[in-house]
Amino acid sequence: MTPIEQLIFLLKAVPVTLSISLLSFLLGLGLGIIFSFIRIYGTVFLKYIADGYEKVFRSVPVLAVMFLLYFGLGGYLPIFKDPYFTSVISLGLVSGANQSQIFRSAIGSVGRSQMLAATSLGLTQFKSLRYVILPQALILAVPGLGSEIALLIKDSSYSFIIGVIELMKHTDILRAATRSLVFPYIASALIYVALTFPLATYLDKWGSMKKRELGL
Amino acid sequence: MNVLECRDLTKIYGKVVAVKNVSLGIGKGQTKVIFGPSGSGKSTLLRCLGLLEKPTSGTIYFNGIDVYTTKQDLNKLRAKIGFVFQEPSLFRHLTALGNVVLGLKHVLGYSEDEARRKAMEALKLVKMEDWANYYPAQLSGGQQQRVGIARAIAMDPEIILFDEPTAALDVELKWEVISVMKDLADRGTTMLVATHELRFAKEVADEMIFMDQGEIIEIGTPEQFFRSPMTERARKFMAKLLG
Repeated sequence: MTPIEQLIFLLKAVPVTLSISLLSFLLGLGLGIIFSFIRIYGTVFLKYIADGYEKVFRSVPVLAVMFLLYFGLGGYLPIFKDPYFTSVISLGLVSGANQSQIFRSAIGSVGRSQMLAATSLGLTQFKSLRYVILPQALILAVPGLGSEIALLIKDSSYSFIIGVIELMKHTDILRAATRSLVFPYIASALIYVALTFPLATYLDKWGSMKKRELGL
Repeated sequence: MNVLECRDLTKIYGKVVAVKNVSLGIGKGQTKVIFGPSGSGKSTLLRCLGLLEKPTSGTIYFNGIDVYTTKQDLNKLRAKIGFVFQEPSLFRHLTALGNVVLGLKHVLGYSEDEARRKAMEALKLVKMEDWANYYPAQLSGGQQQRVGIARAIAMDPEIILFDEPTAALDVELKWEVISVMKDLADRGTTMLVATHELRFAKEVADEMIFMDQGEIIEIGTPEQFFRSPMTERARKFMAKLLG
């Protein structure tokens, strides 16, 4: 295999790596938004639940969650025997806890006076959150979300261990096939850099620019 | 009957009594001015009247109906009570037009087109129609306050409460906001205004209310306050304001 052929072989795994990262990011985004709003505006009981979720999933390693779902829950619920599905869920659950924290600090920066102004117009609490607080919190969260996507792209490599055929798995196949320890790992490392670095940098810049522009 | 009225309103935060046994009412078409040293409870009183804070005790009547004991839908009433804040409170992710449209659409249920038309009318009234597509960060403090006033009047409220709308503004910018408020008063808008702009009070107020340490100390016409306040505290404070 020429180096070009090897590279192409590695790149063929990129769509799987990216789709796992993107789907788990979206799951985490939904969870993060819901739990952050609950932690700030929810009832006492719901706050406890959201707080517990955040604490647990920020403390347990992704791999442990993956094993727990795949080997543990998989015995009872066959759907968790699917490595791709289980990877997305595990990464999403952990990411949701991180994103909840990102949103909590973003909502904090939006400021109380915005909520008060929304209330004074007669908007219900839900509409105030939906039309006034959330749009601003989303903009403020963009740089943090950029780092979160980068983290997910890297952490998606854990799914190789439970059997997903993604970039790390292709790297491993290549290592075995070429008996080269150096090229496959350096090449896949560079692919990870190319996937994460420009995106995170761009989102960070965009977020800061928008923040300045709107005076958030 | 008064549009908005409170009886024996008291608001306590922890151990601090911010407002103590205040009773006052604003009739249709009236303009009343509240003034007094900072920390005298003006803001708290206005926020209670705007149904943004619940009083610790006392009663608030909107068009004669006891708001809290009859369990009214507070959001519906808030839509009828305009509120203009001291600090910049425009929604920063929306343009001037978007700020005015939001309540029309999502509280009063206007369609997008109707809401925009009505919002533009309100912006015209405060002479901000040329700035409709600018974001708050691109506007001066005075312009932001005028948009804030447009946002309140667009909802066709029965009364507008102003919480020191010019206090955070430079002197040059104050007057453009004051003149918009004067227009509103001249058009018969029912208004309760916390302000230290005595010229405004003199020209448009039906009544002035002097507050200190959470209590109403003196109520009178602007003439009375400018000629000779009855209480020593009001006299001293007037002297300070008039320099």
